[in-house]
Amino acid sequence: MAAKFLSNTSGEFLKTKRTAAFWLTLLGAAFVPIINFIKCVARPDVFVPRYKANVWNIFINENWEVASAFLLVVYIILVTGLVIQIEYRNNTWKQVYASPRTYADIFFSKLIVMLVMILLCFILFNVFIILSGLAINLARPNYNFYSTPIPLMKMLLLSGRMFIAISGIIGIQYFLSLRFRNFIVPMAMGLGLLIAGFIIRQWEHIDYYPYMYGILAYFKNPGLPQDTLQKVLIHSVLWFGLFLGLGFGYSVWRRERG
Amino acid sequence: MSHYIIETQNLSHEFRRGERVPDGLDLRVPSGSVYGFLGPNGAGKTTTIRLLLGLLRTDGGKIEIFGKEFSKNRISILQQVGALIEQPSLYGHLTGRENLEILRKTYGCDRKRIDQVLEMVSLTSAQRKKAKNYSFGMKQRLAIGLALLNDPALLILDEPTNGLDPGGIIETRELIRDLNAQHGKTIIVSSHLLSEVEKMATHAGIIHKGRLLFQGSLEQLHLLKSKQSAIEIEVSNTKHAADLLGAGFRIKNINGSRIGLEFESKEQVAQMNRILVNGGVEVYQMAVTQNDLENLFIQITSE
Repeated sequence: MAAKFLSNTSGEFLKTKRTAAFWLTLLGAAFVPIINFIKCVARPDVFVPRYKANVWNIFINENWEVASAFLLVVYIILVTGLVIQIEYRNNTWKQVYASPRTYADIFFSKLIVMLVMILLCFILFNVFIILSGLAINLARPNYNFYSTPIPLMKMLLLSGRMFIAISGIIGIQYFLSLRFRNFIVPMAMGLGLLIAGFIIRQWEHIDYYPYMYGILAYFKNPGLPQDTLQKVLIHSVLWFGLFLGLGFGYSVWRRERG
Repeated sequence: MSHYIIETQNLSHEFRRGERVPDGLDLRVPSGSVYGFLGPNGAGKTTTIRLLLGLLRTDGGKIEIFGKEFSKNRISILQQVGALIEQPSLYGHLTGRENLEILRKTYGCDRKRIDQVLEMVSLTSAQRKKAKNYSFGMKQRLAIGLALLNDPALLILDEPTNGLDPGGIIETRELIRDLNAQHGKTIIVSSHLLSEVEKMATHAGIIHKGRLLFQGSLEQLHLLKSKQSAIEIEVSNTKHAADLLGAGFRIKNINGSRIGLEFESKEQVAQMNRILVNGGVEVYQMAVTQNDLENLFIQITSE
């Protein structure tokens, strides 16, 4: 049973070969570090003094600030949609469901593909941050990236926290991508909910609003209770579980498959 | 085990409230047969096939495949079934071989099987080409290859010759006949062309508006077909012709200068002609009415 699930999951990975999902992961992870590289190389007069105190910490924060608020959520909206669209676009759901696979096998093997892609994006993002810092120092020796140790533990903990914080959106977007055949619908809903989140950011119950969890988990949130971060992480996992349940239920009980 | 490989009882699916297609279908596909599943577009062929594969939820009735109830044995049944449903279902960005590899991982069959299947559907030389760059015929062949990958005991092919050129149609037909005769596979082939089914099927089922109008062997179908056939004769005087022919033949209708009679054999046609000419009626034209599927449906349903 487990061997069959693993075999089918490797088949699901094969389906992503030569698709935009892989390039989106690679370019999505590289985008912010590249912009920061250009920024630092172009204006050392501004950034060398600013980074003096704690070069890696400040540089890592400047990368995450942009990623956590907007790009990460957009990436999740796109990558979940793209993985599911492989079946819709090629009209292959019928073949998937007419093959001897349990509904759980189909549902969770696709989830694993998405989670691995997102995890890969996190790993690549961290790798590109480090490479970007080192490359800046290579181009402008007056930065002190080389002489300061890389805070790997901070990077790991921060990435772990952010991954949990965005898990709720993964669950929701997976469900929406399954539910709507048209790629535009889950994408528009996701982006709409993200933008709506910026508008209601000061709401006292914002910890129930998953599309803001990226921001809430990364930034200090003046005006919000101290335990907001903790609540955000717990609520995110709950949203993830709830929407996985809904998504799985939908794939089992839908009247028409493919 | 019953000698039917597929047996449905009162199978129904409701598209919209009150619109049932199929409606109380009792399908019986004998083991080892090539079962031609006939019907015009929209009759419910694809819907029935999708129900058989669990792609649609049944709103009534029961499906048994290999003597086992489908809903309770979905995985073990699908392990032995190969299917091509409507248009080829392929990953365009992957090569032909990669498409087969994905399904091979599900069935757990040997890698050599991919080579065998590629050869069977004549795609060995095109296996490294992306499926989106295949011609329609090649796509259809790859889809048949996918259906054959697990060496299934039951093959369900929904309009497999649709969109193929004459060469492709002949090849597919030969492949179906060969799979049945040499490899003992039971095959359901849906089509809207009676002539197509007659060339390869051993059994047939005719579906119209979600209901089965006929089901039986090809011999039984031929018998039904000849019963439903008519000869139309254009004459100078229909009244006189009807008097002459009425004694020996069954007149179906009289329409203007044409008289329609039941057709049974070619010899009868010659006999009718002789009677009319000897009786002084001028015969302008005699023709056996085309017995295409549409006419057959109209005739069966009008009874």
